[in-house]
Amino acid sequence: MDMLINPTVVELSRLQFALTALYHFLFVPLTLGLTFILATMESVYVITGKPIYKEMTQFWGKLFAINFALGVATGLTMEFEFGTNWSMYSHFVGDIFGTPLAIEGLMAFFMESTFVGIMFFGWDRISAKAHLVVTYLVALGSNLSALWILIANGFMQDPRGGTFDPNTMRLEFSSFVQLIFNEDAQAKFVHTSIAGFVTGSMFVMGISAFYLLTNKRKDIALRSFRIAAVFGVISTIGVVTLGDALGFIDAKAQPMKVAAMEAIWNTDYNTASASWNLIAFPDKAAGKNLFEIGIPYVLTPLLTHSEDTVIPGIHQLVDEAKPKVVNGIKAMVALKEYNHDHSNLQALATFKQYQADMGYGFLAMQYAPDQDLKKVDASNMTSVVDKTAQETVPNVWVEFWAFRIMVAFGFIMLAIFAFAAYFSLKNDIEKHPLLLKVAMWSIPLPWFACEFGWITAENGRQPWTVYHMLPTFVSASSHSVSYMIFSLIGFVLLYSSFIAAEMYLMFKYARLGPQVSHHGHDKAPAGGGMAAQPAFAKPSLNKQ
Amino acid sequence: MKNLFTFAGMALILALSLFLAVITGDYGPWYFAWLVGTTMIVLIAVAGAVMYEKQDGERQGKTGH
Repeated sequence: MDMLINPTVVELSRLQFALTALYHFLFVPLTLGLTFILATMESVYVITGKPIYKEMTQFWGKLFAINFALGVATGLTMEFEFGTNWSMYSHFVGDIFGTPLAIEGLMAFFMESTFVGIMFFGWDRISAKAHLVVTYLVALGSNLSALWILIANGFMQDPRGGTFDPNTMRLEFSSFVQLIFNEDAQAKFVHTSIAGFVTGSMFVMGISAFYLLTNKRKDIALRSFRIAAVFGVISTIGVVTLGDALGFIDAKAQPMKVAAMEAIWNTDYNTASASWNLIAFPDKAAGKNLFEIGIPYVLTPLLTHSEDTVIPGIHQLVDEAKPKVVNGIKAMVALKEYNHDHSNLQALATFKQYQADMGYGFLAMQYAPDQDLKKVDASNMTSVVDKTAQETVPNVWVEFWAFRIMVAFGFIMLAIFAFAAYFSLKNDIEKHPLLLKVAMWSIPLPWFACEFGWITAENGRQPWTVYHMLPTFVSASSHSVSYMIFSLIGFVLLYSSFIAAEMYLMFKYARLGPQVSHHGHDKAPAGGGMAAQPAFAKPSLNKQ
Repeated sequence: MKNLFTFAGMALILALSLFLAVITGDYGPWYFAWLVGTTMIVLIAVAGAVMYEKQDGERQGKTGH
């Protein structure tokens, strides 16, 4: 608490984590969705006995393997980053945050990784039914990985299940049940997992469309297109409705995030007629929208599922934060006194009285003289409180537009999947080359939607790492600026090379298509066959 | 004996499903929704593929291939 925090290091740490997370999340959604699509294809194989579905599972499994390997590589560094770049955060919440991460590694990731091996190498070693179970376990394992990560993230968004101990100066576990059944974690898991399903569907559908346009293995392409289109249309409906549910939960737990997401500066007490901003140019410095196009009667039912719930605006929330800042400063000063002298029970009692607003005291440190809250007195209290309360507002412009881009892409994909599923179910998708081209060029859309979704979730959490408890400002490690720049450049170069490798391999194997076997370009027997064994599914090749 | 084991296995799955439904339905409605929803998405996609096979069979029957 006594050391001076360098804001440049904090910003560089944020940038580094944001970049590594966004890079990593290029791989994750495809894994979440493609595994269940593989399980679907293999289920059809087991039900119908048609070998073409086995061939399909193996071909799409090859593309899944490329993505899986690079996803693991980019994910591993992130867990270390908490310790290296966010040591104060790790100290403060490690007891709680570390638990779901450890479970993710020990349970979900190990389960997923073990069964991935059997999935690739076990085709000729176990029965078809046993292999299907393995494929489902891979799908379940990858989604369980996401579950534990999102439980950890849910704690950051809406901290439940932990209590601050003034003796150890850290948050400690109070309820595992509260942690895993946190509403934010639940809603975010289903939203994120199903967003992965949409990503997997668009990936399979887009590449299948390419094969149909180029007359490549139409038997596989038509079947893959059908499965992906049906899978995708239901998943997209799911992701839109679950996104609405997540917004509803956020409106209760994170009102500032929601106000920023909708660029609501002033509370509108005429709840029924309150306008929803379709377009706005929010200006945080001016505290208003420079331009906006609003649609009346939409905002309140959209966000609160009622007509009479008041949605607080940013200015009101800032005013509500001011007394919390005053209380937080009292809590932090008392905590510091108690830490110097553990027999000072008066300080402990004062701390406990204001403990609920402790996070606001942390946040006020950056505006206190020499970052020392003891130096905040009557002469500068108003200034410190006003600046700190204003600091609770995230970047409204980024929040507003990231959210809208995500939603727009979601609805565009819904339309594409709806048409694709309709024409595929009518069995005349080949008569619509324009739709096939749209499907092919839409492959990147779910990735954009996912990335902007994460920007919405994490930018809206600012300025906190743990909402209302621990500000980002005090969470970073005390590295030098040069160290941060050096490691940032290193990460960007390394991760960019991973992306380049993924893109190269994906394009290469997707263009070659399912007729390629480990022997070269042999075409599979008509009506399906086993010529398309993925290279790594052959133990002999694995030794090469 | 095999029938008995099958019955016991199915009963165990049923009990586990009911337990999951009660626990996650009460405390984790969204987790429960994910379990039900994912199962539904997979089953409908499987049905779509099976329907394709039927359509393909009918088409081949008409064209004589």
